[in-house]
Amino acid sequence: MSVITCNGLTKKYGRNKALNNLSFSIEENKITGLIGRNGSGKTTLLKIIAGHLKETSGEIKVFSEKPYNNLMVSANIIFIHDQMNLPAALNLKEILVVAANFYENWNSELANRLFDYFSFNPSHYYQDLSKGMKSTFNSILGLSARCPLTLFDEPTTGMDAGVRHDFYRAMLKDYISYPRSIIISSHHLNEVEDLLEDILLIKEGKEHLHLPSEDFKEWSIGMQGKTAIINEWTVDKEIIHTRSIGLDQSYVVVRNQFSEQEVQRARIAGIELSPVSASDLCVYLTSKTEGGIDDVFNHG
Amino acid sequence: MMSLTTVSLTSIVKKQYSYKLKAYVQVFWNLVFLQLLAILFSLNGVGMSGSSSETLEVEVHYYSADLVAFFTMLWGFIIAIIITTKAYRNDDFTFVTNRLSHNLSNILFLLTASIIGGLTAMLSPNLLKVIMYIFDRQLMVASTSAAGSLNEFIIGICTTSLYIFLFCALGYLIGTLVQIHKVFVVLVPALFFGALFLGGVSGNTRIVSNFFGFIFTESSILLFMTKIIISCTLVFASALVLSTRLEVKQ
Repeated sequence: MSVITCNGLTKKYGRNKALNNLSFSIEENKITGLIGRNGSGKTTLLKIIAGHLKETSGEIKVFSEKPYNNLMVSANIIFIHDQMNLPAALNLKEILVVAANFYENWNSELANRLFDYFSFNPSHYYQDLSKGMKSTFNSILGLSARCPLTLFDEPTTGMDAGVRHDFYRAMLKDYISYPRSIIISSHHLNEVEDLLEDILLIKEGKEHLHLPSEDFKEWSIGMQGKTAIINEWTVDKEIIHTRSIGLDQSYVVVRNQFSEQEVQRARIAGIELSPVSASDLCVYLTSKTEGGIDDVFNHG
Repeated sequence: MMSLTTVSLTSIVKKQYSYKLKAYVQVFWNLVFLQLLAILFSLNGVGMSGSSSETLEVEVHYYSADLVAFFTMLWGFIIAIIITTKAYRNDDFTFVTNRLSHNLSNILFLLTASIIGGLTAMLSPNLLKVIMYIFDRQLMVASTSAAGSLNEFIIGICTTSLYIFLFCALGYLIGTLVQIHKVFVVLVPALFFGALFLGGVSGNTRIVSNFFGFIFTESSILLFMTKIIISCTLVFASALVLSTRLEVKQ
């Protein structure tokens, strides 16, 4: 059964379309990575799923119901983001008590252990925490709530490397002991890559690619060699990224549709073939313009 | 399939209500501060009369704690606006909510605040008397406060609370309008003062004075209660309808 289905989902802010005819569905009990560049509509999508925003047109169903203004959907979702509003009058421990009161599956033991592990002071107030500490506290809420659908929007903003690592590990462990659907949006795909079962790549408000992360690694291939030979080989291929190295070498990433024999022949022709990491591929796929940052400077 | 939690509206409203009593505790500190300020102002008295003969001089000072009730109404108006602002509004959306439960729990909270405000406002004449006694050492001759009989005292609390609640309702509606569009920050005061002054200039003050007449000059207690309750319901209902379109923005 799918947890989220959306069809032709569009969200406009004024004239600007943040989501443009987006259609996908997410199966239950999977960890899905929501990947996209800044401004590609990730946060807007998560807000619509959480019922904070109303879609302009199209259809979205979460647990087979419309999420906007829906109490059932709200009770089964926790949405963690870096601009969370938490009551200023309550200290951290009291906030945990309030959250426990609202979420039926709340695991107090886990919450308290994480709270102690990350050495929070119960009598501190949320607004006095540093950026990274806020994110850490938010993620304790997100994990302990054990909601059937957990949305993490850039959960690691401001966290240091150690805490980020701990958080991913905690998420994976708790997911294994208590499977649920998790959507995590992140800029650090290389860090979350191993956790993800599915990757949903969005670009300019549209679904660009939605694949299991295993397939993602084999979806494309990098070719490096003499420019002339490379051009010959890639003439009828779907080119994703191209970069020149030195004077007569180039590196091209193409959709991997080569047969075993073709790979052999390419090697003989002097082309180096290499796998493309998921995070690099995402960067190439979502780049808005032809070429890269180098072209900005090489205008002469 | 992971089992989904089903929740009822009433249970969520209850949870939000008890959460708000804790989280919005600041507004009650504001109440204490405002009422003390009002009592301080009331120490000036509202009037004085005196007479004297060759051997005897009598001065009568009149004191009233009406100002406390007025300040409390103002407080009701302001806290209602405050709880519609983003910082408070978005708190709910961190946890489980929809717009209906959010508004209902806010209304319940405002009702509670109004009752507490009404009760403390009605008790404030006693504090005034104590202060007069300690610092002025004057003789308390007569008291016309509603605290005279229990019956009047209770009616006093009810009416004061209802007045505060009505101001809460107005504040809540205005706060909601402002959340929908910032233009109402300017528009609402402009409308109010426009009606007040331009009406005065043209000699046609009916709109504003009729409104105040409608709520402040009713002599029948039952009719008064009905009026206020119906007005509050209408105002809160419009705020509720308006806020269903309101998205959560950071």
